[in-house]
Formats: sequence, structure tokens, C-alpha cells
Amino acid sequence: MSVTITADSHSDALHGDLGHGHGKKGIMHYLWNTDHKVIAMQFLFTSILYVIVGGAMALAMRWQLAFPGHPIPLIGNFLPSTIVSEDGALIPGGYNVLVTMHGTLLVFFVAMPILIGVFGNFLIPFKIGAGDMAFPTLNEISYWLFSISGIIMLASLFVPGGGPGTGWTAYAPLSSFAKYNGTPLGQTLWCVSLFVNGLSSLTGAVNYITTVITMRAPGMSMFRMPLPVWAIFLTAILLILAIPVLSAAAALIIFDLNFGTTFYKPEGGGQPLLWQHLFWFFGHPEVYILILPAMGFASEILAVFSRKPIFGYKAMVWAMIAIGFLGFVVWGHHMYVSGMNLTLSAAFGVSTMVIAVPSAIKTFNWMGTIWRGNIHYTVPMAFAVAFVSMFVIGGLSGIFMAATPIDLFVHHTYFIVAHFHYVLFGGSIFSVLAAIYFWFPKMSGRMFNNTLGWVHFWMTFVFFNLTFFPMHNLGLSGMMRRIADPTVYDCLRQVQPLNVICTIGAMGLGLSTIPFLINMFWSMRSGPKAPANPWNSTTLEWTVSHPIPHGNFASTPTVYHGPYEYSVPGLEKDYLPQNEKAPAHVSLEAH
Amino acid sequence: MTTCLPFRSLRTIGSRSVGWLASAYALFLAEPAFAEQRAGNIWGLAPCVTVHGEKIDALFMVIFWLTTFVFVVTQGTYIYFLIAYRKRPGHKAYYSHGSNTLEIIWTTAPTIVFLMLAIYGNRLWEEIHRPAPSNSLVIDVSSYQFGWEMRYPGISGKLAPMDVRKISDTNHWGTDPDNPLTSQDVQATELVIPVGRPVHLLLHARDVIHSFYVPEFRMYQDCVPGRTIGWVWFQATRTGNFQIACNQLCGTGHYNMKAPIRVVTEQEFQKWLQPRQQKNATAAPSSSPAPVATLTQP
Repeated sequence: MSVTITADSHSDALHGDLGHGHGKKGIMHYLWNTDHKVIAMQFLFTSILYVIVGGAMALAMRWQLAFPGHPIPLIGNFLPSTIVSEDGALIPGGYNVLVTMHGTLLVFFVAMPILIGVFGNFLIPFKIGAGDMAFPTLNEISYWLFSISGIIMLASLFVPGGGPGTGWTAYAPLSSFAKYNGTPLGQTLWCVSLFVNGLSSLTGAVNYITTVITMRAPGMSMFRMPLPVWAIFLTAILLILAIPVLSAAAALIIFDLNFGTTFYKPEGGGQPLLWQHLFWFFGHPEVYILILPAMGFASEILAVFSRKPIFGYKAMVWAMIAIGFLGFVVWGHHMYVSGMNLTLSAAFGVSTMVIAVPSAIKTFNWMGTIWRGNIHYTVPMAFAVAFVSMFVIGGLSGIFMAATPIDLFVHHTYFIVAHFHYVLFGGSIFSVLAAIYFWFPKMSGRMFNNTLGWVHFWMTFVFFNLTFFPMHNLGLSGMMRRIADPTVYDCLRQVQPLNVICTIGAMGLGLSTIPFLINMFWSMRSGPKAPANPWNSTTLEWTVSHPIPHGNFASTPTVYHGPYEYSVPGLEKDYLPQNEKAPAHVSLEAH
Repeated sequence: MTTCLPFRSLRTIGSRSVGWLASAYALFLAEPAFAEQRAGNIWGLAPCVTVHGEKIDALFMVIFWLTTFVFVVTQGTYIYFLIAYRKRPGHKAYYSHGSNTLEIIWTTAPTIVFLMLAIYGNRLWEEIHRPAPSNSLVIDVSSYQFGWEMRYPGISGKLAPMDVRKISDTNHWGTDPDNPLTSQDVQATELVIPVGRPVHLLLHARDVIHSFYVPEFRMYQDCVPGRTIGWVWFQATRTGNFQIACNQLCGTGHYNMKAPIRVVTEQEFQKWLQPRQQKNATAAPSSSPAPVATLTQP
């Protein structure tokens, strides 16, 4: 709290709207800017590009799975020859490249930057009453590292040999031995990209942690912080502990591929399972990195539109801390059947069952939040409400493979594909969409179009379930993930209609982004002007109105109570902002 | 297409849309039977043909009903709340920051349930991975980019000893060429196994990680290069034709890395194996033409 940046302390800077201040004019303003709000927008627009690329890849894969060997409509003939045959149909190696790229892009270039890069940057300073992040220049460097890593990742598609086709998990020795994968250059670039991406995450994480610890406004104690800030703070700690392990492991692959070392090769004394242990030691905290912020956003949005304090604020915080801690001792559940010691599998089975508990606590608290509320149905609320249900489905299907023997049946099948899309799409992405709609008025100063918003919600909700629910059945019928053509297997030909249904759903899901993008880009410029606090919300970001200057607050706000004081008895209005003292006759319940 | 008959009678009832939907459904089901038909199984669940598989399915059903119960109760309550507490004129939300009693209840209850599931699961896990019975038929399974090879014991009833470090492009099995047992080994590209007898697999990978996956056996195990995975064994409960699928992304040909499995009766199995053992025995000068021994673990 020793550092304070306010709008006043930046009197030399030109104040203006988001993206219209800070001295620089024109395109340079968007390319190099240390204002956390602009950096958030940089992350958002870059990630939207990757959503489109990664989503199109998923559609191409779905097309191939439903109609194997048929040319991909529209774009088939424009894809490189390492991916499609002459007539525009996916070739098996190309399918593997798409599997790899879809997973990598959506995890590292969509979910992480949006959850953490966009909302971490946008929300933390606003919500804790700070003028900017602790290290604004480092913040912009973090964005550019992210940007460069994305360019390297996409470049890997166009190098000789083609892109890497080893899955986003890149299991060694397939990934670490050119003779086996045939794409040493693409695989190397994949590793380099993740290394640079990791640097971006680390610089970002350092920034978030420092900002949260040192720059909270007077009165903003840790247990008065809004839940999204808690979530991103804990996520940043997970990043700092998990990312270096991935970077190191990826560096070893680079050495194995290019310099003849044998870290992962048994012929030279290496261990193929070493990669899996390193990757999943990162990879499992990563799963929670992708869901904790989403949980934070949904918690806040549910409270705002239920007009109720969040149920069990401290339980929510402690549940997130528990998830963060336990997230580091469950990585082995990705490896029950990898050839790892069987007793170790059993031990990881227990810790995996235990980590379901904090998630259950959070779900019950979300239900407690809407209980006896006064629920306002808006587009962000609809996404947040759906988030809880989708997360419950994804969580419950997770119990199946947490049980070690069931994993013998469903490991690496579409049951898993269904499971992680329910938590990553139905969970993280639904919450991200809720958050984009919810904070859109603060980001752009304008309101979005409600009708388009509702169209987007219902299309997403229906087509999401149509795409991913049948995958549970496909998995139980024995369909392997990452196979380019299920019809080569006798037992899978009979369930091929399910693949067609999934693909129809995926097409609808692809179409659902159209009303969303139209809504966002149109409303950003031409939507009706938004009031400072359109949702009658209590947290500090809603106390500033557009245009928001660099430095955010005219003077550092003082915080008097917790973040979710809604429907306090004795108050005329049904919300009490954090920077407003409760009147003498009103007593606030401890949370 | 016999499946059309009931749908035609549906059409006579007069509902054109039902008839159309039914015809579309019939088209889906009209796929000829390549493998065992799974008709009547609306879930698409793979049939289960091993002893362990049945136990796994039993656990599966316990978790299925448990999660279904939890889903219906929590989502039912959730939807009730969403409707009952929607915005109404003059209504104000109830001011509450939560309840410690409830937090304790919904922390303790799931912990107990999840730990019980972990115990149930791990007991079965331990049971499945007990050492293979001594009367097991031992088969060496070698996976490579992109296919499978099997090695059965020769006429002496013993597999030739192998060393994973000796596996190479020329020596697929890592066996010692000077050992007389080596030339006796029976090699095959399909997995033929007798019903009712425990089968013990030694899983190997020659290049990258592959996986031995048979959904009907409820069995998945990675084959790791440089190692022998020796804990996989199973006992088929009925005859039938299945497929081994590689279920670990292993390169461009991964999607098609499969091999046939035939579960046959003991007599048929002997009829398949013995001529091959005899052939190798006569081809190998150093081995004595002993009568066919009962196959035992090496």
C-alpha cells in the first residue's frame, strides 16, 4: 500500500478514454502502452484471433471425424499440403497437427491470456483501488512476449516438415526424436514458443502478485478483496510454481531433438516417463490455473445479479487455496496407466478424490448465493448460471476417471474429451463470456446489444451440449481420442452417427460466435453509452466513469467493508459500494 | 432392412414427423454389422468380456448412479432456486453471508463419500493388478510405428528370455539368437487367446510410447520403450472378435494402428497354436521334438 498511482499523479499524461490517452497518438498507442486497461485490450484482441484460428481447426477436425476422407468445405483447398491432401481432405498427419495446435492454442493462447492476461490486468488495479499494476513496463513486455510466442507457434505450421503432430501433451520420445515424429523443426518451434509463452506468464504473475500485495487501497484488507482478485492472485502463485517446470521440460526436448541428448530416450539412459511427470507437474496446476479465475468471475457475477452477498466468502477463498495446494499433488492421475508404479497410481487416486471436495464446496456456495436472492436475468448472469451447471457435469464426470480402475476403461477416450471440454469450455469459457459481457460496459464505456447477447447465449448453451454430451457415449463405446478416422475400427463404425451429431453441434457452436463478435465490435463503437455502474455493483471499478484516465481513480479510494454488500437491511438501495461507509443505523454481517 | 418394419407401422398411425424421424434413425442403424452388434444398448457402451471388466463395470455403475443422484438433486434444487427467486416487484433478497454449519456439512459429506470411493476403487485396482495366476498363458506383445506383433511360447512351453536393451530394428524381441528357445517362439500378427484361461501380457514398445487398449476388455496400458510392462493379465469370459487399438498418439499412422483379437475356445486355440509350434520345432535343429507341453509361465 506504499505505492499509489492515481490519475492526479499522472497529470502530465493526456487523460482520455480507454485507448485515447497517455500521450501517444495513432497505432503506436495500441502497440506500446503501459496502461493496464490497454494491455488488457491487447491481450483480448490477440486472443480473439487465436480463438478463431483454434476454433476453425476444431471444426476441421470435427468434419473429418463425421465424414472421414471428405474434402473440408470452403477452406479445404487453402490449407498447406502438410495438412490436407490434394482434394482438400485432411490427411492423418495433418489431423495430428490440428489436434496439437487446437489444444495448444486454446490452452496457452486463448484460455490463459483471456482469464489471466485480460481480466488479471483489467480487474486487479480497478478492484483493489490502484492506478495501475506495480510494474507497468514489465506488464507490456509480458504482452509482447505472449505475442511473439504466438507468432512462433503459428510459424511452426509452415516450416519444412510441417507443424508438430504430437498432441498438446507432446509425449516423449515421440516428440523428442526426429526419426519418430518427422517434424523436428516444427516440434522445436513448439517448445520455443511455450518457453517464451512461459516467460510471459511468469512476468505477468510476478506483476499480479506484487500488485495485490503492495498496492491495495486503504481499508482493502485481503479478506475484503473481491473473489476475482483472490482467484487471479492464487492463479499467479500457481503460475510461478508450475510454469518453470514446463519451460525446463520443453528445453530438454529441444536438446534431445537438436543436440543429441537423451533425456527422454531409453537408448541413452533417459526415461520417457520423465517428460510425463514434468509435463503433468505443470499440467495439473495448469488445469486449476484455467478454472480458478473462472470460478472467481462467476462467483462475483452470481452475487451481483442475485443481489445477495456471496454465500460463504471465506469458505470460497479457503476452497480456492485448497485447490491451489492440492493441485500440485494430483498430477499422477494423468498417469495411472502410463507404466508408473501402481501403488503410486493408487495414492494419486486418493488425492484426486480429495481435490473434488473444494470444488463441491464452491458449487454448494454458488447455490447458497442464489438461494433467496432476487435474481436479475441478464446475459452475463445467464452465462454464469450455465457455468455452474456445466462445471457440475464436468466435475461429476471427473469422478469416474478419478477412480483408478475406471481409468483402465475410459483413459484417453472421448469420455475424457467430453470431461475436459465440460470444464474448460463449459467452465472456463462460459465464465469468460459471462465476464466479457459483465465488464464490457467498463471496458468500452458502452452497453452491448441484449438481443444479440441472448441469441449468443442460447446458441452457445444448446450447441455446446449437443457437441460435447454425446462424446461421453462415444468414449464408453471405446472411441480413442486423437484418431483421424474412427471408421477404421469395427466397433466404432456403429456409433458413427454420434460423431455426426457432435459435428452438427460443433458447426452450431462455430456459428454462435458470429452474433457475439458482431455484438462486441458493433457495440464497442456504436452501442448506447453505459452509465458508470450499470449493474448497481459494489466493487471499486464501478465507481469510475468513462473516459477513464490513466491512473483510474481521481484520488485513492478508501474501502470500508467487504466486497458483496447487497440487499443490506435498512438501506434504501440494494447495494452498498465498498468505498461508501454504512450509515450508523445499518449493521453489516461479518463474512 | 428389417429395422424399417416397425417404423412403417408408426407411419400408418398418421404422424408424418415421427415416421420421418424414425426413418432417419433407421438409416443410422442400418450400418451393417462389422463387429458385434450393440443393438439395444442406447448408451453405446462397449460390451464387456473379461472377469476384471465386469468388476470395473460394477464400480462404474456405482459411480454412475451416485453422480446421477447428485446431479439430479443439486441441479433440481438449483433450477428450483433459479425460478423461485427470480426478480419480482417489491421483493428484496435475503441478506446473508452464509452459514458455518452448512459449510461444515458440505465439506464433510463429500469428503466421506469421495474417500469411500477412493477406497473401493483402490481395492479393485489392487485386485486387478495382483500377479498373474501360474496357469496363465504368457504372450509377448510388441508395439511399433504402426502395428503390433505377438510372440507365443514355442513347443517347450517357454518364451525365449529377452532383454529390452537388445530390442532393435533387427531384433524385434530383444531375444538372444543363440538361445535354442528363440527359434521356437511362435510369432503372430493377431492376438489369439483361449476363453476362460488367464492371459498374461508382456507389453513392449520398440520406438515410442504406444498403448494396448481394448475397450471390451476394459483395459488400457501404455507400452513404454525401454521397459517391460508385466502386470497386465486378464481372463476372457466369452469368445468373439475384437481389436487392439493403439490409444496413445504415436505418429502419422496412429489412427490405424490396430490388430485383430480372436477369443476362441481352448480346442480352437490349440488347433491354431500347435501346428505353429511344431513347425518352429522342426525348423530348429537344436530343440528336441518333445510332446506339446502345457504352457506355463517362464
